Amino acid sequence: MSDKKIQMIPKIRSGIVIDHIPAGDGVRILEILERDPRMKNIPVTFGMNYQSNKLGAKDMIKIQKDDLCERTIQHISLVSPGVTIKRIRDFEVVEKVSVQPPHDMINLLKCLNPGCITQNEPGLKSKFILTDPVQNQVTCVYCERVFSIHELSPII
Amino acid sequence: MKKDVISMHDLTLEDVQCYLKTAEKVEQIPLEERFRLLSGKIMASLFFEASTRTRLSFEAAMYRLGGNVIGFAEQGATSVSKGESFSDTIHTVESYSDVIVIRHPREGTARHAAQISFLPVINAGDGTNQHPTQTLLDLYTIKKNFNKIEGLRIAFVGDLKYSRTVHSLLQALMKFKVNEFMLVSPESLRLPEYLKKVNMGFPVTFVETKKLEDAIPYADIIYMTRIQRERFPDDIEYEKVKDSFCLNAQMLKAAPEGLKVLHPLPRVNEIAPDVDSTPHAEYFTQAKNGLIMRQAILLNIFEVAI
Ligand SMILES: [Zn+2]
Repeated sequence: MSDKKIQMIPKIRSGIVIDHIPAGDGVRILEILERDPRMKNIPVTFGMNYQSNKLGAKDMIKIQKDDLCERTIQHISLVSPGVTIKRIRDFEVVEKVSVQPPHDMINLLKCLNPGCITQNEPGLKSKFILTDPVQNQVTCVYCERVFSIHELSPII
Repeated sequence: MKKDVISMHDLTLEDVQCYLKTAEKVEQIPLEERFRLLSGKIMASLFFEASTRTRLSFEAAMYRLGGNVIGFAEQGATSVSKGESFSDTIHTVESYSDVIVIRHPREGTARHAAQISFLPVINAGDGTNQHPTQTLLDLYTIKKNFNKIEGLRIAFVGDLKYSRTVHSLLQALMKFKVNEFMLVSPESLRLPEYLKKVNMGFPVTFVETKKLEDAIPYADIIYMTRIQRERFPDDIEYEKVKDSFCLNAQMLKAAPEGLKVLHPLPRVNEIAPDVDSTPHAEYFTQAKNGLIMRQAILLNIFEVAI
């Protein structure tokens, strides 16, 4: 068996593979999956620090479930923009997308400004606009403060 | 579509120029004719925090256009203090009025009100965020004095770190291609870096100084702001700087003839009373212009042709 095959986590027949995760971000994606109630009892395998030509080192997650909900994918795109989500059917990759943060983020992130109306009005959904996709900066539509995505905690 | 006035960030240069032009026209209309323009209209003036000057200016603007005003001057006097939700207050007021003016201590409240109401909403200050009518009236005052905005040299003095008024006006002036500013403040109250790192497509120069005297021979406009004691970690720090940012008539002897001094008011001691009688004092006219600008905004909202 070649070295390459030894280090890879086992193939799945059908499900989702999250690939090209910059090393270290994998744990944060696992946290998101863990908080999704639809992920209960779903087998997940997680590999850390694989060699990658593109990233140097990468993490990988394999999920034995046919689909992830849109919201979970959006959350993944926020903690680790640019990861690849592959759909696997009968051991074959049938779809492959690189996920990017959405332009409008409704009720996905919590505003950090304690004076913001979204922190104080029950039922009001937070809304951020991706104002700088290069620096991953977002602006709160309400208080107009600018944050980097990583500063903000997700609303699950 | 209803016309809300929530944030300067929503307004294009053309929008701002349109407000300035409308204000100019409003000022030409004799008072007795102005009285007919909004007769029968009701403005809801919802001040969830007290701000007497802004409220009186909005209310006088509406009355002098022949309209009427309902509302409250502070939260304590309302059913909000009895636990009514914000959206219930808005929906109740909605059925009695034609336009809502809102002041609130929380950032983003005016935007929220505009989203849940079918009435046009004017932001009269949402916490530390925006106060667009103040910025528009400042621009109008500048335009009126110099008949232009582009190319003017403007010095901002005082608390440049926290002053919402300064930040908002500075950003608006840059849209008008003002490319040179003097910033006069104590070290701890300097203008935040992010406001200087903007890409306007042309170079913008900021000259920073701690001496108010530097600004006087330099500027066309000196925009004064209050330095608040609570911004300083201790009273000694405050005492050390507070007098170095006070303008008096003696200092203005070095000023160019056309120099104008602006201040959003209320002032405390940053402009000595002896400045009031100099030709440089423009802050009371500025307050008067506030009423004109608010009338222009109301007329624009109701699409009254003048
Ligand atoms: Zn916010």
